[in-house]
Amino acid sequence: MRWWVAVAWIEELFKQGEKRVDELEVYCFSGTSVSADLKQRRVSLCSSSIETGLCIRTIDKGKIGSSSTNDPQQWQACLDAAIAGGHLATPQEWRGLPDPVTLPVEDLAYDLSLAIEPAMAHDLLREMLNGAAAHPEASVTAGGAGIAAGEITFANSHGIRYASRQSEVSISLEAISGQSTGYEFDHAFSRALVNPERVGERAAFLASRSAGGKDVPSGEYDVILSPMAYADLLGNIFVPALNGRNVLQGRSKLAGRIGETVTAPLLSLYDDPHRKGAGGSTWFDAEGTPTRRLDFVRDGILTAFAYDLKTAYRAGKGSTGSAIRGGFAGLPAIGHHNFVVDGKRDELFDEPAIYVHSVVGAHTANPMSGDFSVEMSNPFRVKDGALAEPIRGAMISGNVFDLQHQVVALGKESRPVGSYILPPVKINKVRVIGK
Amino acid sequence: MTETPGIRYYDLRQVSGQSTHVDVDMGVIESAGTTFYNKAVIRVLGPRGWGILQIDNYTPVSGKKFEEMLASAEKLALVADDAVNLGDVPRTIQAVPPVREDCRNVSIEEKAELLLAIEKAADRPLVTSRRANYLERIENVRFMDSSGSEYSYECCRSGFSVMVVASRNGTVQMGYEPDHTIHGFNLRHREDMGRKAAEMAVSLLDAGLAKGGKMHAVLDPELAGVFAHEAVGHASEGDLIEEGNSVLKGRTGEKIGDASLTIVDDPSLHEFGFEPVDAEGIAVARTEIIRAGKVNSFLHNRQTLAAIGNGVAGHARAMPGKPPLVRMSNTFIEAGDATDEEIFAECKNGIFLAGSRGGQVDPGRGVFQFNAEYGYLIENGERTRMVRDVSLSGEILKTLHGIVLCGKKRVMHSGYCGKGGQSVPVSDGAPLVLLRDAVVGGSGVD
Repeated sequence: MRWWVAVAWIEELFKQGEKRVDELEVYCFSGTSVSADLKQRRVSLCSSSIETGLCIRTIDKGKIGSSSTNDPQQWQACLDAAIAGGHLATPQEWRGLPDPVTLPVEDLAYDLSLAIEPAMAHDLLREMLNGAAAHPEASVTAGGAGIAAGEITFANSHGIRYASRQSEVSISLEAISGQSTGYEFDHAFSRALVNPERVGERAAFLASRSAGGKDVPSGEYDVILSPMAYADLLGNIFVPALNGRNVLQGRSKLAGRIGETVTAPLLSLYDDPHRKGAGGSTWFDAEGTPTRRLDFVRDGILTAFAYDLKTAYRAGKGSTGSAIRGGFAGLPAIGHHNFVVDGKRDELFDEPAIYVHSVVGAHTANPMSGDFSVEMSNPFRVKDGALAEPIRGAMISGNVFDLQHQVVALGKESRPVGSYILPPVKINKVRVIGK
Repeated sequence: MTETPGIRYYDLRQVSGQSTHVDVDMGVIESAGTTFYNKAVIRVLGPRGWGILQIDNYTPVSGKKFEEMLASAEKLALVADDAVNLGDVPRTIQAVPPVREDCRNVSIEEKAELLLAIEKAADRPLVTSRRANYLERIENVRFMDSSGSEYSYECCRSGFSVMVVASRNGTVQMGYEPDHTIHGFNLRHREDMGRKAAEMAVSLLDAGLAKGGKMHAVLDPELAGVFAHEAVGHASEGDLIEEGNSVLKGRTGEKIGDASLTIVDDPSLHEFGFEPVDAEGIAVARTEIIRAGKVNSFLHNRQTLAAIGNGVAGHARAMPGKPPLVRMSNTFIEAGDATDEEIFAECKNGIFLAGSRGGQVDPGRGVFQFNAEYGYLIENGERTRMVRDVSLSGEILKTLHGIVLCGKKRVMHSGYCGKGGQSVPVSDGAPLVLLRDAVVGGSGVD
């Protein structure tokens, strides 16, 4: 976080607001970004954006109100709307907004030297195209590169005045060879942490190597899920069950199971908000609660759920510093900062298996029961320690809560996939449905 | 028209609006409130491609200030190196249909009360969790371009959803009922939706798991609508065709389905995906993607129409503050002449799939997947045992031949569709259809 620079309207907001409600907070965001898109091998457009916005939350006798706007000059109307919304809310158990603490000044996910310039987006695209040239039988269909930086200003009526900066570089490329497609991406807070050449090479590799796939008979197979495929299934099904609100309201299959074995003993799952080099790292959460490591599953045992202030107070617990926002207009909600899958690492490719690069349709799974059946993308047979012949297309199905117990090994290299940092995993006896 | 050298075309689209939401959870008003926004997109077409400015909190400017804004977008356009031409297409705006009841005339207190009643209606034995959301967005859209074309309109989209969880002995299931509309306030007398969601969640507790494999399937209108959207709609989007990322590329006139099959996207239809005019100021029109089983027409914006032809422009859509993309609006399979009895009898042994939990497609590979909310086995033409968590996958070019019977009554369902990080309102629909040799995924075993 950064040193606080006094903002006149924010001080005025507290002066006026404190006469009308018990407590209030304001979350402001301002940022700029530049992006460029490829259409086949040509840059088809370049775009830049300026984003501003603020969200005010008021609490009065346990009634929570909120409103947001992207015009900071409209903060008075926004305050009125938040208070009006609060009148309607059902009062709840409330034990106060957080008090200020001294946090480190250094920003965890910000690169000061990052140039928000079209030229950098252009260079990133070029490097991806260079990488893709390693597999000339694949054609690039589309791609994108974006660079963004922004500043969060957070204040509340208990005297918190925090500021922090964040940046992001994101790249992706799509390629095709006949009717076989490949997609790869990378993202990080610094240019030095993304590898555009490798993204290009991998996208083209997947398209080219997946061509001419063979059918696979239905049955049970040992399956290696790539970090993307595993993150997709975890994020849509398992992680929502760790959300304290879902636990409290009867929407989590993991409710009441603290202390029980919920995954294979080799797995540990935790939120690591101070992780060096990770894009989601932050010293304070979206409500100003200082963040800390939160162990959800330790060696297979369920140890904690995630809470924001509101849900924690209802459940008679404390916030775990897990509040996040989906943009400035988003109300604080329970989430995570850097969700890490960890455990002892192994060689995954030493025995025959099916490797699945990504899955199509994980969001259509049943988040309550954990049941899913999804189409595989870029699946391969694994033989003699490497990817062997491609598989034409098939579905995998099962129950994510059960599969967590069938994980037998974690691969050596972890990578970031959105807010997840995880390795590929090997899972025994997964049901595959051939065509 | 501004005479800036190097600028071949520009347009400006500003959306200002307010959104109001109410979120109730187990009888408690979790949150309620209104947010305000104002976003603009300025696009400039330079000699070789687009420069785009996305501006939050835009204040209209004119004269020198406007020229400066165009100049900074033009600078961005110089990074591009693509040959872009724009198709010449009609520009008219349709009237937004009048609403039956204006959301603005109903207090937020009353909205919350009505929503609570819908959520309360889901309260019954075995139900462990109930939640309902209301969302309304009132948007003012203003558009102008360098040809002198200008338009503005106001549109209100509102709706609600109710989500219910039932559990028994460790089995947890859910029911979900949404209803979104452009026709005005829709929360009155809708307790049936809460009851329906609860009924679904409770019934699914007793449903079995389907055994995956190849079989004949009868799809209800909602799921068959998702099929039209995932299996055909995305692959017909002009930007994907132009990139070479669709299996439908170069197949105009080719027969890929049964002669009884016609699939349409129509933004002019007064359903949830309605647009009075598209995001490039172009007239919207019915587009027959598949006509009598043959690839007929692609969905286009001005650029993709000029680049590949064989289709209709007016399909550019955008979220507030985002650049327009080629998108679907109201997508459906046309009704046929089969009765429900004929469809089930013809299926004989297979599976009936209904409701939708969404889907996804890889248009380049031509592979799609989508999930039914529930299903029933069909044995000897009769619906028998209920099953849950059934999905369907297939290849676009093969699967359409499998739709051999279409029922008489088309029904539309509203929802949202995501592409390129933008989510836009859409509707999908179809009659009851028979799909032969469907690849059904389920985790049941013998």
